[in-house]
Amino acid sequence: MVFAYGDKPALTIDHLSIHAGRITALIGPNGAGKSTLLNLFAFLIHPDAGEIYFCGQRVRREDILALRRRVGLVAQNPYLLQGSVIDNVELGLRLRGVGKEQRRRSAMAAMERVGLAGFEKRSVKALSGGEKQRVALARALAPEPEVLLFDEPFTYLDQSNMHLVEQVISNHTRKSGKTVVFSTHEQIQGIALADESISLFAGRSVGAPLVNLFRGTLRNGVFDTGKLVIHVLRTWDQGSYLAVDPEGVVLSLGPLDSSLRNSFRGRIIMIAEEAGRARITVDIGERMHARVTLESLHNLRLGLGKEVWVSFKATAVRVF
Amino acid sequence: MDYFVDSFLAALRLIFQFDPKVYQIAWTSLEISLTATVFAALIAVPAGVWSASQEFAGKRLLRQSLNALMSMPTVMIGLIFYGLFSRRGPLGDFALLYTPVAVIIGEAVLIFPLIMNLAMTAVESADPRLLPTLRSLGASSVQQFRLVLSETRLALLVAIAAGFGRAIGEVGTAMMLGGNIQGLTRTMTTAIALETSKGEFELGLALGMMLLLVAFAVNWLLRSVDRGAG
Repeated sequence: MVFAYGDKPALTIDHLSIHAGRITALIGPNGAGKSTLLNLFAFLIHPDAGEIYFCGQRVRREDILALRRRVGLVAQNPYLLQGSVIDNVELGLRLRGVGKEQRRRSAMAAMERVGLAGFEKRSVKALSGGEKQRVALARALAPEPEVLLFDEPFTYLDQSNMHLVEQVISNHTRKSGKTVVFSTHEQIQGIALADESISLFAGRSVGAPLVNLFRGTLRNGVFDTGKLVIHVLRTWDQGSYLAVDPEGVVLSLGPLDSSLRNSFRGRIIMIAEEAGRARITVDIGERMHARVTLESLHNLRLGLGKEVWVSFKATAVRVF
Repeated sequence: MDYFVDSFLAALRLIFQFDPKVYQIAWTSLEISLTATVFAALIAVPAGVWSASQEFAGKRLLRQSLNALMSMPTVMIGLIFYGLFSRRGPLGDFALLYTPVAVIIGEAVLIFPLIMNLAMTAVESADPRLLPTLRSLGASSVQQFRLVLSETRLALLVAIAAGFGRAIGEVGTAMMLGGNIQGLTRTMTTAIALETSKGEFELGLALGMMLLLVAFAVNWLLRSVDRGAG
């Protein structure tokens, strides 16, 4: 499927699946195409080439309105209509022709879920940024869509609101078996919260997590970043970006006699705790991140400035 | 200068003593222009909002046509409709010439492009997130239309008020199609233009001041809408 704004394709995807009933994270830097992909999922834009299938059915133009009503989208910087909070939260239900009483009930339930009980009659003009985000969230939740999409839900929020959104996201699938897709540029957040993650880079979906990302030239199974020469599988025949899976990176105190084709010496320049493990950044000419258990950290006595060897297999490398 | 001051004072007397001639003319103006504005707005506002919300081939051409129509000399409208309404013209049988209806039609046609253009601008100046938000919530085209109308209502009011201001200040069309007939089609503008030369200077001044009053009132309305919205 291809989608282009103007001449250049913003998204070129051969094949991508989102599983129902799970939380999927779209991870990638700004400009990678995450918003575009979410807009496609919300049926707000149509691909220039290729097809979308929803619940096994091919998506056709005639079905767009009905499909839009099965999917809810919470934008990064949401727009609230003039009026009160309840006017906004009920909007989706009103558009679907839901009766007055049922509408009010569903809207109030949605507002409870986001902690806005009591806010019904407040004018949206008097709300804080975090409150506005919650109204937009309640508004998307009220019609109980099968799929809930979030565009960078964590960017503008403070701690407590972030926690709330995380809770809403996880409850939506755990409790109701529905599907959630959210986008983020924060690798860690995405992986921590989601069941599955898809990495996007420059409009393409890449299998690799986007840590250890380098630019360079590929020739004959060798990728040269200018500072580092990395061996890759010969199956990669073109690409100017390379990513190394941090899970496949091995740290040792001395050079290894092994089948690991890539081996570099460097200095530890950063150690941080991340999701219960330690992330170690080594300067081997380029910055390479590895993840080890806290136990290994202590056993190897790894500390800042220490010289270590970084090794990884050619199979831990992706080129795109 | 004495002549001016004396006439000015006489004009004030006409206004504050509720001289029937003055007020009848002012009322005729208001009636005709308000009616013209209502009819023009009834079509121009929905047409403008609809066009601005949709993507279609020829949209730019439409905009350019509206701009061209807006800059057309008003005597042309007067002339064209004079031809249509006169005895020997295609609509002559309706005997519309020199009736208030003719002036209403003329003014409505005159302000239509203005209101439609401003209505389109109102929608285009609306928050760009409005339409995507409505669409993502599952609004049909008709629902989008209604909600856009509602969300841009202040700007649309401004468009309508601008149309009214234009209509009430119109001279050429009102003269050619109305004929300045007393009690029927004598509006503030035609009276000022035509009565003054017959020596009715105080009347002209009085009417001029009332016209200014209307213009200021419309202006004040527009400004307070702006302030309220901002």
